[in-house]
Amino acid sequence: MTRAGLIALAVFIIATGLLFSLNPRTQQRLSAAVLQAVAPVFSTGSSVKTRVQAYTTGVKSLAELEDDNKRLKTENNELRVTNQMLRDLGDENANLRRALTYKQRSNFKLIPARVIARESATWWSQVQIDRGEEDGIESDMPVLTESGLVGKTTTVSRRTAYVLLVADENCKVAVSIEGTRDQGILSGTRLSTGAQPELLIRFLPKTVEARPGQKVFSSGVSGGVFPSGLVLGTVLEEAKVRELDAQVRVNPAVDMSRLENLFVVVPNKEGS
Amino acid sequence: MLPFAVLLIGATLLAQLFQHSLPAFDALHGARATLFPVLLAYGSLALPYPLVLALAFCAGLLWDLLNLQVITSTATLLKTPSVEVVVGTSVVLYGLLGTLMHGLRPLFLRGHWEIHVLLSGLCTIAILLAEFLVLNLKRGGFDFPPVMWWRILAPGVIALFLAPVVYLILTLIAYLLKYPVRDNPREHTGGLQRGI
Repeated sequence: MTRAGLIALAVFIIATGLLFSLNPRTQQRLSAAVLQAVAPVFSTGSSVKTRVQAYTTGVKSLAELEDDNKRLKTENNELRVTNQMLRDLGDENANLRRALTYKQRSNFKLIPARVIARESATWWSQVQIDRGEEDGIESDMPVLTESGLVGKTTTVSRRTAYVLLVADENCKVAVSIEGTRDQGILSGTRLSTGAQPELLIRFLPKTVEARPGQKVFSSGVSGGVFPSGLVLGTVLEEAKVRELDAQVRVNPAVDMSRLENLFVVVPNKEGS
Repeated sequence: MLPFAVLLIGATLLAQLFQHSLPAFDALHGARATLFPVLLAYGSLALPYPLVLALAFCAGLLWDLLNLQVITSTATLLKTPSVEVVVGTSVVLYGLLGTLMHGLRPLFLRGHWEIHVLLSGLCTIAILLAEFLVLNLKRGGFDFPPVMWWRILAPGVIALFLAPVVYLILTLIAYLLKYPVRDNPREHTGGLQRGI
Protein backbone atom coordinates (compact mmCIF):
# COMPACT_ATOMS: atom_id res chain seq x y z
CA MET A 1 0.00 0.00 0.00
CA THR A 2 1.27 3.49 -0.82
CA ARG A 3 2.05 6.10 1.82
CA ALA A 4 -1.01 8.14 0.76
CA GLY A 5 -3.16 5.02 1.08
CA LEU A 6 -1.91 4.36 4.61
CA ILE A 7 -2.55 7.95 5.68
CA ALA A 8 -6.04 7.82 4.13
CA LEU A 9 -6.76 4.57 5.97
CA ALA A 10 -5.63 6.10 9.27
CA VAL A 11 -7.84 9.16 8.72
CA PHE A 12 -10.75 6.89 7.74
CA ILE A 13 -10.39 4.80 10.91
CA ILE A 14 -10.17 7.87 13.15
CA ALA A 15 -13.16 9.55 11.48
CA THR A 16 -15.23 6.36 11.74
CA GLY A 17 -14.22 5.98 15.39
CA LEU A 18 -15.45 9.52 16.01
CA LEU A 19 -18.80 8.64 14.42
CA PHE A 20 -19.18 5.62 16.68
CA SER A 21 -18.49 7.78 19.72
CA LEU A 22 -21.45 10.09 19.00
CA ASN A 23 -24.26 9.75 21.52
CA PRO A 24 -27.75 8.85 20.25
CA ARG A 25 -29.08 12.36 20.72
CA THR A 26 -26.30 13.84 18.59
CA GLN A 27 -26.91 11.16 15.96
CA GLN A 28 -30.59 12.09 15.94
CA ARG A 29 -29.74 15.80 15.61
CA LEU A 30 -27.36 15.07 12.73
CA SER A 31 -30.02 12.95 11.07
CA ALA A 32 -32.54 15.79 11.50
CA ALA A 33 -30.07 18.24 9.93
CA VAL A 34 -29.56 15.97 6.92
CA LEU A 35 -33.31 15.47 6.70
CA GLN A 36 -33.78 19.24 6.63
CA ALA A 37 -31.06 19.68 4.01
CA VAL A 38 -32.46 17.10 1.61
CA ALA A 39 -36.12 18.00 2.18
CA PRO A 40 -36.28 20.40 -0.82
CA VAL A 41 -35.04 17.59 -3.11
CA PHE A 42 -37.70 15.20 -1.82
CA SER A 43 -40.37 17.88 -1.84
CA THR A 44 -39.66 18.84 -5.45
CA GLY A 45 -39.58 15.18 -6.51
CA SER A 46 -42.87 14.55 -4.74
CA SER A 47 -44.53 17.60 -6.38
CA VAL A 48 -43.35 16.57 -9.85
CA LYS A 49 -44.64 13.04 -9.28
CA THR A 50 -48.03 14.35 -8.09
CA ARG A 51 -48.31 16.65 -11.13
CA VAL A 52 -47.42 13.89 -13.55
CA GLN A 53 -49.97 11.60 -11.88
CA ALA A 54 -52.59 14.34 -11.98
CA TYR A 55 -51.87 14.94 -15.65
CA THR A 56 -52.02 11.28 -16.63
CA THR A 57 -55.07 10.36 -14.56
CA GLY A 58 -56.86 13.61 -14.00
CA VAL A 59 -58.00 14.72 -17.46
CA LYS A 60 -61.81 14.73 -17.20
CA SER A 61 -64.64 15.97 -19.35
CA LEU A 62 -66.84 18.92 -18.30
CA ALA A 63 -69.79 16.60 -17.63
CA GLU A 64 -67.65 14.45 -15.36
CA LEU A 65 -66.40 17.51 -13.51
CA GLU A 66 -69.96 18.73 -13.06
CA ASP A 67 -71.01 15.34 -11.64
CA ASP A 68 -68.00 15.35 -9.33
CA ASN A 69 -68.87 18.87 -8.19
CA LYS A 70 -72.49 17.94 -7.42
CA ARG A 71 -71.44 14.81 -5.54
CA LEU A 72 -68.81 16.69 -3.52
CA LYS A 73 -71.25 19.47 -2.64
CA THR A 74 -73.77 16.94 -1.33
CA GLU A 75 -71.03 15.12 0.58
CA ASN A 76 -69.80 18.43 2.00
CA ASN A 77 -73.26 19.31 3.27
CA GLU A 78 -73.66 15.88 4.85
CA LEU A 79 -70.29 16.18 6.54
CA ARG A 80 -71.13 19.66 7.82
CA VAL A 81 -74.30 18.36 9.44
CA THR A 82 -72.49 15.35 10.92
CA ASN A 83 -69.69 17.58 12.15
CA GLN A 84 -72.13 19.91 13.86
CA MET A 85 -73.89 16.97 15.51
CA LEU A 86 -70.57 15.58 16.72
CA ARG A 87 -69.56 18.99 18.02
CA ASP A 88 -72.79 19.21 19.99
CA LEU A 89 -72.22 15.73 21.35
CA GLY A 90 -68.63 16.66 22.24
CA ASP A 91 -69.79 19.75 24.14
CA GLU A 92 -72.45 17.73 25.90
CA ASN A 93 -69.91 15.06 26.78
CA ALA A 94 -67.47 17.65 28.12
CA ASN A 95 -70.23 19.25 30.23
CA LEU A 96 -71.26 15.91 31.64
CA ARG A 97 -67.66 15.01 32.42
CA ARG A 98 -67.20 18.32 34.20
CA ALA A 99 -70.42 17.73 36.12
CA LEU A 100 -69.15 14.33 37.20
CA THR A 101 -65.71 15.87 38.01
CA TYR A 102 -64.02 13.43 35.65
CA LYS A 103 -60.50 14.25 34.68
CA GLN A 104 -60.86 16.12 31.37
CA ARG A 105 -59.59 14.09 28.43
CA SER A 106 -56.71 15.57 26.45
CA ASN A 107 -57.75 17.55 23.42
CA PHE A 108 -55.99 16.93 20.16
CA LYS A 109 -55.78 18.70 16.84
CA LEU A 110 -54.89 17.15 13.52
CA ILE A 111 -52.15 18.65 11.40
CA PRO A 112 -52.37 17.61 7.75
CA ALA A 113 -49.10 16.44 6.21
CA ARG A 114 -47.96 15.14 2.84
CA VAL A 115 -45.59 12.23 2.26
CA ILE A 116 -42.55 13.55 0.41
CA ALA A 117 -40.34 10.45 0.50
CA ARG A 118 -40.87 6.78 1.10
CA GLU A 119 -38.63 4.29 2.81
CA SER A 120 -35.49 3.62 0.82
CA ALA A 121 -34.05 0.74 2.78
CA THR A 122 -35.18 -2.84 2.44
CA TRP A 123 -35.47 -3.63 6.13
CA TRP A 124 -37.02 -0.49 7.65
CA SER A 125 -40.47 1.04 7.21
CA GLN A 126 -40.61 4.78 7.45
CA VAL A 127 -41.77 7.72 5.35
CA GLN A 128 -40.87 11.39 5.38
CA ILE A 129 -43.54 14.08 5.74
CA ASP A 130 -43.47 17.81 4.96
CA ARG A 131 -44.22 18.97 8.52
CA GLY A 132 -41.74 19.55 11.32
CA GLU A 133 -40.92 21.50 14.45
CA GLU A 134 -42.23 24.73 12.93
CA ASP A 135 -45.68 23.13 12.72
CA GLY A 136 -45.60 21.94 16.32
CA ILE A 137 -44.52 18.38 15.49
CA GLU A 138 -42.38 16.55 18.02
CA SER A 139 -41.08 13.01 18.14
CA ASP A 140 -43.48 10.25 19.26
CA MET A 141 -46.68 11.80 17.93
CA PRO A 142 -49.29 9.49 16.39
CA VAL A 143 -49.87 9.75 12.64
CA LEU A 144 -53.04 8.58 10.94
CA THR A 145 -55.20 8.68 7.83
CA GLU A 146 -58.97 8.58 7.56
CA SER A 147 -58.65 4.76 7.40
CA GLY A 148 -56.67 4.31 10.60
CA LEU A 149 -53.35 4.54 12.41
CA VAL A 150 -50.23 4.82 10.26
CA GLY A 151 -47.41 5.12 12.80
CA LYS A 152 -45.58 7.69 14.90
CA THR A 153 -43.08 10.47 14.31
CA THR A 154 -39.44 9.79 15.17
CA THR A 155 -36.74 12.18 13.97
CA VAL A 156 -38.11 15.69 13.50
CA SER A 157 -36.34 18.56 11.76
CA ARG A 158 -37.56 22.14 11.29
CA ARG A 159 -39.84 21.46 8.34
CA THR A 160 -39.89 17.68 7.92
CA ALA A 161 -40.22 14.57 10.03
CA TYR A 162 -39.83 10.84 9.74
CA VAL A 163 -42.82 8.62 10.45
CA LEU A 164 -42.12 5.09 11.65
CA LEU A 165 -44.89 2.95 10.18
CA VAL A 166 -46.86 0.41 12.20
CA ALA A 167 -45.59 -2.16 9.69
CA ASP A 168 -42.14 -1.87 11.26
CA GLU A 169 -41.14 -4.34 13.93
CA ASN A 170 -39.95 -1.45 16.11
CA CYS A 171 -43.33 0.33 16.17
CA LYS A 172 -45.28 -1.33 18.96
CA VAL A 173 -48.90 -0.42 19.75
CA ALA A 174 -51.03 -1.63 22.66
CA VAL A 175 -54.24 -2.92 21.09
CA SER A 176 -57.53 -4.59 21.88
CA ILE A 177 -59.74 -6.69 19.64
CA GLU A 178 -63.31 -5.59 18.95
CA GLY A 179 -65.83 -7.39 21.13
CA THR A 180 -63.25 -8.72 23.58
CA ARG A 181 -61.45 -7.28 26.60
CA ASP A 182 -58.20 -8.94 25.64
CA GLN A 183 -55.20 -6.75 25.02
CA GLY A 184 -51.92 -7.38 23.25
CA ILE A 185 -49.03 -5.65 21.55
CA LEU A 186 -49.24 -5.10 17.80
CA SER A 187 -46.25 -4.59 15.53
CA GLY A 188 -45.03 -5.49 12.08
CA THR A 189 -42.87 -8.53 11.53
CA ARG A 190 -39.20 -8.40 10.58
CA LEU A 191 -39.98 -8.91 6.92
CA SER A 192 -43.31 -7.08 6.80
CA THR A 193 -41.80 -4.05 5.10
CA GLY A 194 -43.37 -4.71 1.69
CA ALA A 195 -46.16 -2.77 0.03
CA GLN A 196 -48.98 -4.48 1.94
CA PRO A 197 -47.43 -5.79 5.13
CA GLU A 198 -48.85 -8.12 7.71
CA LEU A 199 -49.19 -7.09 11.32
CA LEU A 200 -49.05 -9.40 14.33
CA ILE A 201 -50.60 -9.06 17.80
CA ARG A 202 -48.42 -10.75 20.40
CA PHE A 203 -48.85 -11.37 24.13
CA LEU A 204 -52.59 -12.03 23.95
CA PRO A 205 -54.08 -14.35 26.60
CA LYS A 206 -54.30 -17.96 25.43
CA THR A 207 -58.07 -17.83 25.90
CA VAL A 208 -58.54 -15.02 23.37
CA GLU A 209 -61.49 -15.46 21.00
CA ALA A 210 -60.49 -13.63 17.88
CA ARG A 211 -62.50 -14.20 14.73
CA PRO A 212 -61.57 -13.13 11.19
CA GLY A 213 -63.03 -9.73 10.35
CA GLN A 214 -63.01 -8.34 13.89
CA LYS A 215 -61.54 -4.86 14.10
CA VAL A 216 -58.38 -4.07 16.06
CA PHE A 217 -58.14 -0.76 17.96
CA SER A 218 -55.39 0.96 19.89
CA SER A 219 -56.12 0.60 23.59
CA GLY A 220 -54.37 3.78 24.74
CA VAL A 221 -52.04 2.76 27.53
CA SER A 222 -51.57 5.49 30.14
CA GLY A 223 -48.48 7.56 29.32
CA GLY A 224 -48.14 5.89 25.93
CA VAL A 225 -47.86 7.43 22.48
CA PHE A 226 -51.13 6.35 20.90
CA PRO A 227 -54.58 7.44 22.12
CA SER A 228 -57.27 4.80 22.40
CA GLY A 229 -59.81 3.94 19.71
CA LEU A 230 -57.67 4.26 16.57
CA VAL A 231 -58.31 1.53 14.01
CA LEU A 232 -55.28 -0.55 13.06
CA GLY A 233 -56.78 -3.30 10.97
CA THR A 234 -58.89 -6.43 10.96
CA VAL A 235 -58.19 -9.92 12.26
CA LEU A 236 -57.09 -12.21 9.43
CA GLU A 237 -57.50 -15.61 11.06
CA GLU A 238 -58.14 -17.25 14.42
CA ALA A 239 -55.52 -16.92 17.12
CA LYS A 240 -52.47 -19.14 17.08
CA VAL A 241 -51.95 -20.33 20.66
CA ARG A 242 -48.34 -20.73 21.73
CA GLU A 243 -46.74 -21.93 24.94
CA LEU A 244 -47.10 -18.67 26.87
CA ASP A 245 -49.37 -16.47 24.79
CA ALA A 246 -51.54 -16.30 21.69
CA GLN A 247 -50.82 -14.47 18.45
CA VAL A 248 -53.21 -13.03 15.90
CA ARG A 249 -52.39 -11.95 12.34
CA VAL A 250 -53.90 -8.62 11.31
CA ASN A 251 -54.55 -7.07 7.93
CA PRO A 252 -53.64 -3.35 8.16
CA ALA A 253 -56.47 -0.83 7.78
CA VAL A 254 -54.23 1.55 5.86
CA ASP A 255 -52.72 0.77 2.49
CA MET A 256 -49.06 1.47 3.25
CA SER A 257 -48.06 1.54 -0.41
CA ARG A 258 -50.38 4.47 -1.20
CA LEU A 259 -49.69 6.82 1.68
CA GLU A 260 -50.00 10.41 0.49
CA ASN A 261 -51.95 12.64 2.84
CA LEU A 262 -51.59 12.00 6.55
CA PHE A 263 -52.59 13.70 9.80
CA VAL A 264 -50.32 14.16 12.76
CA VAL A 265 -52.12 14.12 16.11
CA VAL A 266 -50.83 17.05 18.13
CA PRO A 267 -51.95 17.90 21.68
CA ASN A 268 -54.04 21.05 21.59
CA LYS A 269 -52.24 23.38 23.97
CA GLU A 270 -55.01 25.98 23.75
CA GLY A 271 -57.38 23.39 25.20
CA SER A 272 -60.11 24.15 22.70
CA MET B 1 -8.81 12.83 -11.17
CA LEU B 2 -10.37 15.00 -8.48
CA PRO B 3 -13.27 16.34 -10.59
CA PHE B 4 -14.23 12.80 -11.56
CA ALA B 5 -13.97 11.60 -7.95
CA VAL B 6 -16.14 14.50 -6.75
CA LEU B 7 -18.66 13.78 -9.49
CA LEU B 8 -18.74 10.09 -8.58
CA ILE B 9 -19.21 10.83 -4.87
CA GLY B 10 -21.98 13.30 -5.75
CA ALA B 11 -23.65 10.76 -8.03
CA THR B 12 -23.53 8.12 -5.27
CA LEU B 13 -25.15 10.49 -2.78
CA LEU B 14 -27.80 11.48 -5.33
CA ALA B 15 -28.50 7.81 -6.01
CA GLN B 16 -29.18 7.35 -2.29
CA LEU B 17 -31.66 10.23 -2.35
CA PHE B 18 -33.27 8.93 -5.55
CA GLN B 19 -33.68 5.60 -3.75
CA HIS B 20 -36.46 7.22 -1.69
CA SER B 21 -38.62 7.60 -4.80
CA LEU B 22 -38.33 3.98 -5.85
CA PRO B 23 -41.08 1.67 -4.65
CA ALA B 24 -40.56 -1.95 -3.67
CA PHE B 25 -41.42 -4.57 -6.29
CA ASP B 26 -44.39 -6.60 -5.08
CA ALA B 27 -43.71 -9.26 -7.69
CA LEU B 28 -40.23 -9.71 -6.17
CA HIS B 29 -41.53 -10.09 -2.59
CA GLY B 30 -40.76 -6.49 -1.66
CA ALA B 31 -37.25 -6.39 -3.16
CA ARG B 32 -35.90 -3.00 -4.27
CA ALA B 33 -33.63 -1.79 -7.02
CA THR B 34 -30.52 -0.23 -5.49
CA LEU B 35 -28.31 1.93 -7.65
CA PHE B 36 -25.68 3.23 -5.24
CA PRO B 37 -23.82 -0.10 -4.69
CA VAL B 38 -23.23 -0.16 -8.45
CA LEU B 39 -21.64 3.30 -8.21
CA LEU B 40 -19.70 2.26 -5.11
CA ALA B 41 -18.32 -0.75 -7.00
CA TYR B 42 -17.33 1.48 -9.93
CA GLY B 43 -15.62 3.96 -7.61
CA SER B 44 -13.73 1.19 -5.83
CA LEU B 45 -12.33 -0.03 -9.15
CA ALA B 46 -11.75 3.29 -10.88
CA LEU B 47 -10.43 5.53 -8.10
CA PRO B 48 -7.16 5.46 -6.16
CA TYR B 49 -7.44 3.98 -2.65
CA PRO B 50 -7.66 7.26 -0.64
CA LEU B 51 -10.60 8.34 -2.79
CA VAL B 52 -12.24 4.91 -2.44
CA LEU B 53 -12.22 5.47 1.32
CA ALA B 54 -13.60 9.00 0.88
CA LEU B 55 -16.42 7.61 -1.28
CA ALA B 56 -17.16 4.86 1.26
CA PHE B 57 -17.17 7.37 4.12
CA CYS B 58 -19.53 9.83 2.42
CA ALA B 59 -21.91 7.13 1.14
CA GLY B 60 -21.98 5.26 4.46
CA LEU B 61 -22.50 8.39 6.51
CA LEU B 62 -25.39 9.66 4.38
CA TRP B 63 -27.04 6.23 4.27
CA ASP B 64 -26.85 5.86 8.06
CA LEU B 65 -28.21 9.36 8.67
CA LEU B 66 -31.02 8.97 6.15
CA ASN B 67 -32.09 5.65 7.62
CA LEU B 68 -31.44 6.29 11.30
CA GLN B 69 -34.10 4.49 13.30
CA VAL B 70 -34.88 5.92 16.67
CA ILE B 71 -36.46 3.27 18.87
CA THR B 72 -37.34 5.17 22.03
CA SER B 73 -37.64 8.87 22.51
CA THR B 74 -37.98 11.56 25.10
CA ALA B 75 -41.69 10.90 25.46
CA THR B 76 -41.12 7.41 26.82
CA LEU B 77 -39.90 6.23 30.17
CA LEU B 78 -36.22 6.01 29.24
CA LYS B 79 -36.07 9.77 28.48
CA THR B 80 -33.15 9.31 26.07
CA PRO B 81 -33.41 8.26 22.44
CA SER B 82 -31.64 5.13 21.32
CA VAL B 83 -30.81 4.27 17.75
CA GLU B 84 -31.00 0.82 16.21
CA VAL B 85 -28.04 0.94 13.84
CA VAL B 86 -25.33 3.29 15.05
CA VAL B 87 -24.13 5.97 12.62
CA GLY B 88 -20.85 4.69 11.19
CA THR B 89 -21.92 1.07 10.70
CA SER B 90 -22.41 1.50 6.95
CA VAL B 91 -19.16 3.51 6.77
CA VAL B 92 -17.25 0.48 8.06
CA LEU B 93 -19.18 -1.88 5.77
CA TYR B 94 -18.64 0.21 2.65
CA GLY B 95 -15.01 0.81 3.60
CA LEU B 96 -14.39 -2.94 3.88
CA LEU B 97 -16.20 -3.70 0.63
CA GLY B 98 -14.39 -0.83 -1.13
CA THR B 99 -11.02 -2.12 0.07
CA LEU B 100 -11.77 -5.67 -1.08
CA MET B 101 -13.06 -4.53 -4.48
CA HIS B 102 -10.12 -2.18 -4.93
CA GLY B 103 -7.88 -5.26 -4.90
CA LEU B 104 -9.26 -6.17 -8.34
CA ARG B 105 -8.41 -2.76 -9.80
CA PRO B 106 -5.49 -4.04 -11.92
CA LEU B 107 -7.89 -6.32 -13.81
CA PHE B 108 -10.33 -3.45 -14.29
CA LEU B 109 -7.58 -1.16 -15.59
CA ARG B 110 -6.70 -3.80 -18.17
CA GLY B 111 -10.17 -3.54 -19.63
CA HIS B 112 -12.14 -6.26 -17.85
CA TRP B 113 -15.43 -4.36 -17.57
CA GLU B 114 -17.18 -7.56 -16.47
CA ILE B 115 -15.35 -7.28 -13.13
CA HIS B 116 -17.48 -4.21 -12.40
CA VAL B 117 -20.69 -6.06 -13.33
CA LEU B 118 -19.85 -9.00 -11.10
CA LEU B 119 -18.77 -6.82 -8.18
CA SER B 120 -21.89 -4.63 -8.48
CA GLY B 121 -24.08 -7.68 -7.90
CA LEU B 122 -21.91 -9.03 -5.10
CA CYS B 123 -21.60 -5.62 -3.43
CA THR B 124 -25.40 -5.15 -3.44
CA ILE B 125 -25.95 -8.61 -1.97
CA ALA B 126 -23.22 -8.11 0.65
CA ILE B 127 -24.66 -4.76 1.77
CA LEU B 128 -28.22 -6.10 2.13
CA LEU B 129 -27.08 -9.29 3.86
CA ALA B 130 -24.90 -7.34 6.29
CA GLU B 131 -27.79 -4.95 7.07
CA PHE B 132 -30.10 -7.90 7.75
CA LEU B 133 -27.53 -9.57 10.01
CA VAL B 134 -27.02 -6.36 11.99
CA LEU B 135 -30.79 -6.03 12.33
CA ASN B 136 -31.09 -9.59 13.64
CA LEU B 137 -28.23 -9.00 16.02
CA LYS B 138 -29.92 -5.90 17.43
CA ARG B 139 -33.47 -7.28 17.58
CA GLY B 140 -32.59 -10.86 18.49
CA GLY B 141 -33.56 -14.14 16.85
CA PHE B 142 -31.90 -15.18 13.61
CA ASP B 143 -34.45 -16.16 11.02
CA PHE B 144 -33.83 -16.64 7.30
CA PRO B 145 -37.17 -17.17 5.53
CA PRO B 146 -37.33 -17.41 1.71
CA VAL B 147 -38.66 -13.82 1.46
CA MET B 148 -35.42 -12.57 2.99
CA TRP B 149 -33.38 -14.26 0.24
CA TRP B 150 -35.65 -12.73 -2.41
CA ARG B 151 -35.01 -9.27 -0.97
CA ILE B 152 -31.26 -9.82 -0.93
CA LEU B 153 -30.66 -11.71 -4.16
CA ALA B 154 -33.15 -9.92 -6.45
CA PRO B 155 -31.50 -6.47 -5.99
CA GLY B 156 -28.18 -8.19 -6.70
CA VAL B 157 -29.52 -9.51 -10.00
CA ILE B 158 -31.01 -6.08 -10.84
CA ALA B 159 -27.59 -4.55 -10.13
CA LEU B 160 -26.01 -6.98 -12.62
CA PHE B 161 -28.27 -5.57 -15.33
CA LEU B 162 -27.76 -1.94 -14.28
CA ALA B 163 -23.97 -2.22 -14.05
CA PRO B 164 -23.07 -2.18 -17.80
CA VAL B 165 -25.19 0.97 -18.34
CA VAL B 166 -23.59 2.69 -15.35
CA TYR B 167 -20.15 1.55 -16.53
CA LEU B 168 -20.69 2.95 -19.99
CA ILE B 169 -21.97 6.33 -18.74
CA LEU B 170 -19.26 6.78 -16.09
CA THR B 171 -16.45 5.68 -18.38
CA LEU B 172 -17.58 8.19 -20.98
CA ILE B 173 -17.74 10.93 -18.33
CA ALA B 174 -14.25 9.96 -17.15
CA TYR B 175 -13.06 10.23 -20.74
CA LEU B 176 -14.62 13.68 -21.06
CA LEU B 177 -12.99 14.76 -17.80
CA LYS B 178 -9.69 13.33 -19.06
CA TYR B 179 -9.41 10.85 -16.18
CA PRO B 180 -7.72 7.61 -17.28
CA VAL B 181 -9.81 4.86 -15.70
CA ARG B 182 -8.20 2.43 -18.15
CA ASP B 183 -4.59 1.70 -18.99
CA ASN B 184 -5.21 2.81 -22.55
CA PRO B 185 -7.28 5.98 -22.33
CA ARG B 186 -7.93 6.00 -26.08
CA GLU B 187 -10.04 2.84 -25.74
CA HIS B 188 -12.23 3.94 -22.92
CA THR B 189 -15.26 1.93 -23.95
CA GLY B 190 -13.48 -0.69 -25.98
CA GLY B 191 -13.94 -3.49 -23.45
CA LEU B 192 -17.64 -2.99 -23.21
CA GLN B 193 -18.03 -2.74 -26.97
CA ARG B 194 -16.06 -5.98 -27.37
CA GLY B 195 -18.27 -7.64 -24.78
CA ILE B 196 -21.49 -6.49 -26.40
